[in-house]
Amino acid sequence: MQEQVTTEERIGEGVSFSRIRRITGYLVGDMDRWNDAKRAEEADRVKHFTDKECSCRH
Amino acid sequence: MQKCISNIIKRDGKAEVYNEEKIQSAIFKAAKSVGGIDVERAKHLASLVRSYILENGIGNLVTSENNIEYYQVAIEDVQDSVEKVLIENQHAKTAKAYILYRKQRSDIRDASGALMKLMKELTFSDSRNCEIKRENANIDGNSTMGTMLKYGSEIAKDFNKKFLIRPEHVQAYEAGIIHIHDMEFYALTLNCMQIDVGKLLNAGFNTGHGALRSPSSIGAAATLVCIIIQSNQNEMFGGQSVPTLDFSLAPYVARSYIKNILLYLEANIGDDALVDEVKLALKEYNKTHTHLINDKAKTYILSLLQEKVAKYGYTIDVEQALKFAYTRTDKDTYQAMEALVHNLCTLNSRAGSQVPFSSLNTGMDTSEEGRMVTKNLFLATEAGLGNGETPIFPISIFSMKKGVNRKGDPNYDLFRLACRCSAKRLFPNFNNLDTTFNAPYYKEGRPETICAVMGCRTRVLGNDYDPERSITPGRGNLSFTTVNLPYLALLAKTEHNNLQGDELLKAFMEVVDHYISLVFDQLLDRFEIQAKRKAKNYPFLMGQGIHLDSEKLHPEDDIREVIKHGTLSIGFIGLAECLVALFGKHHGEEKALNEIGVSIIKHFYDRCKEQTKKTGLNFSLIASPAEGCSGRLLRITRDKFGVIKGVTDRDYFTNSFHVPVFYPIRAWDKIQIESQYHKYCLAGAISYIEVAEDLSANIDAFETIVSAMADSNMGYFSINHPVDRDPVCGYVGIIGDTCPRCGRHDGEGLPLSVLKKVKGYSPDPKYARVHVNLQEEMDTLPNK
Repeated sequence: MQEQVTTEERIGEGVSFSRIRRITGYLVGDMDRWNDAKRAEEADRVKHFTDKECSCRH
Repeated sequence: MQKCISNIIKRDGKAEVYNEEKIQSAIFKAAKSVGGIDVERAKHLASLVRSYILENGIGNLVTSENNIEYYQVAIEDVQDSVEKVLIENQHAKTAKAYILYRKQRSDIRDASGALMKLMKELTFSDSRNCEIKRENANIDGNSTMGTMLKYGSEIAKDFNKKFLIRPEHVQAYEAGIIHIHDMEFYALTLNCMQIDVGKLLNAGFNTGHGALRSPSSIGAAATLVCIIIQSNQNEMFGGQSVPTLDFSLAPYVARSYIKNILLYLEANIGDDALVDEVKLALKEYNKTHTHLINDKAKTYILSLLQEKVAKYGYTIDVEQALKFAYTRTDKDTYQAMEALVHNLCTLNSRAGSQVPFSSLNTGMDTSEEGRMVTKNLFLATEAGLGNGETPIFPISIFSMKKGVNRKGDPNYDLFRLACRCSAKRLFPNFNNLDTTFNAPYYKEGRPETICAVMGCRTRVLGNDYDPERSITPGRGNLSFTTVNLPYLALLAKTEHNNLQGDELLKAFMEVVDHYISLVFDQLLDRFEIQAKRKAKNYPFLMGQGIHLDSEKLHPEDDIREVIKHGTLSIGFIGLAECLVALFGKHHGEEKALNEIGVSIIKHFYDRCKEQTKKTGLNFSLIASPAEGCSGRLLRITRDKFGVIKGVTDRDYFTNSFHVPVFYPIRAWDKIQIESQYHKYCLAGAISYIEVAEDLSANIDAFETIVSAMADSNMGYFSINHPVDRDPVCGYVGIIGDTCPRCGRHDGEGLPLSVLKKVKGYSPDPKYARVHVNLQEEMDTLPNK
């Protein structure tokens, strides 16, 4: 008996998510174009806590 | 046995027949350059060189025939022998000239070798693997013209370093102590410009390829704004900004309003004579009333319509005509702003390697027309591009001002919309007109006194050259140079390793002072070069009167006087690393260190003021954008001083006065620290707060952070948050490892049947074509 093989079109193989970030006041759509230093900086960025105390003081 | 030289081996390894006349000629040239005239002596010396080589066994024996030995000698050995013979025979001066000539030739060979190597790299390597092609992220280094631009810029840099820039400035640049930005354009042009597009639209203009009339609709006006930005960008190396887009475009919204009233009459009455008569009257009225969507104009237009309609014997509801015109004009304005955003995000400039670096400032115009511009600009930005992508350009900036657009003010709704748009699309950024350094210049009813920024951060407003003209439009930065603070801190520390605390700071400030002076000299040198350029070199910037006072220039005039309105800026990088180098901690960690940080930056500011007073030119301090140099300066500093914890142990230097991006800190604290620097960086500064969550569902929270920044005397700022997009299913938002909409992993393919079932599936057509047939592996599919 021949083995049943199902093939179906796959979409998006090799397509990366686009991640837009701000660089020096402006945005860059494709991080491929960032230079090594700025990529390293982006990877290091941490979030700033916007806790209640901040809101209360304003 | 007789000996002779048969061949010379050249640098490329090829053999050439020995020709003693060449040696003779080289010696004679060297002698001549120091006053020698004796050809015969040169001939004799050349023969001595031959004897010297053969007697000292310098060559290699190739063959011997008929009792003659044939030798071959390397060119370098021949030249060494020439030097020796000249010196031994008391021709010291000639020897010196010969050595110099040899060195020059070798320098040229090295330079052209290095240049060719660089050209090879630019031509054949992908920008992914070629750092130099990614210096600026907004230039596509892989594109044809992007590469061509790089060839030009690398050669220009080399030329400028060798012939235009003073050796001590080149030395400081090469050593990584300073960074001269946009060095390739040193001999050619100025940095950036705040363009009064209203003036050009009103008078019409010529791009150099044809004349354009004043537009009669908002759609045409928006298109012309793109053409203006593109044309001017090609004459400068920096960005192009529109200081008050809402004020500038409002009159064209009014013109569209006229068109739409006429459209209503055409559709509902269809009497050409009536329409023409109304058209004439409205155009006449418009000459003295640039704005038409207000109560006063409404009264006039209604009575005009009633009169004309009755005159021609028709009856229609004229109020309805104005309602129609309003709605329709709003839609037209949306379309115009949509086209503006799409065009500025996609059109090519500088021979196709990049889109124009464009910035649009809005938010201050409270007229209905101006508000329509601002509102629709944000709505179009929020909607995104063709497939819902976030527009990268134009950089949108919202000007905040109490009494205009803060809580309870007439444009507060636009500020809220700006927050909503920015929470989704990262733009607009926010510019604060209420700061102690912006407010004094602002005069109500004079939009030119509004402080606008170039999106990256560059600011012009105060004008010490011509204080009466402390305005934004028609001015820009001429050039800027960045000082590497961590380098100078390490230098001071190395040279004074016995010092600490205040004494070390004092020693550091002495080094800083030396380099501030050096940068001022370099900026002045560059100004001198720029000043000698002629108006005709800038047919658009100067020829169309964009630069302040340029209408006074004749094409052959040099631009010296008018560019004095511009700014000469000194910048800095890595205050954080500098403080760590000096005191072991940065300004985010300790309050006392922030005070020291502020005092260092204030010193730069004071020196700028002093230099301005001395020269009458606008010297100012910029918190450098430093995209390209953040890695270059770090690498050079690390090579010199080694890996130092907290100073050179990452791959970049921290931007300007920012608290390091990796340092965990509360938003409020970061604002309090960084806000103290904005008032000194009058050539521009920007601060960011990074938030993790998607604030588009919480505009109040977004507004709270933005307001906190504004109320802390910060000049220019924005909130950073992740804006991710899955091109396959079209989802925009935060994406972690998998897309929240279709469940796809990065780079993974999904069967079309699965994708089609995904709610909201709106594929980018570009990726709909990426079809890969694979054996279906049902068990790896997400449970969706």
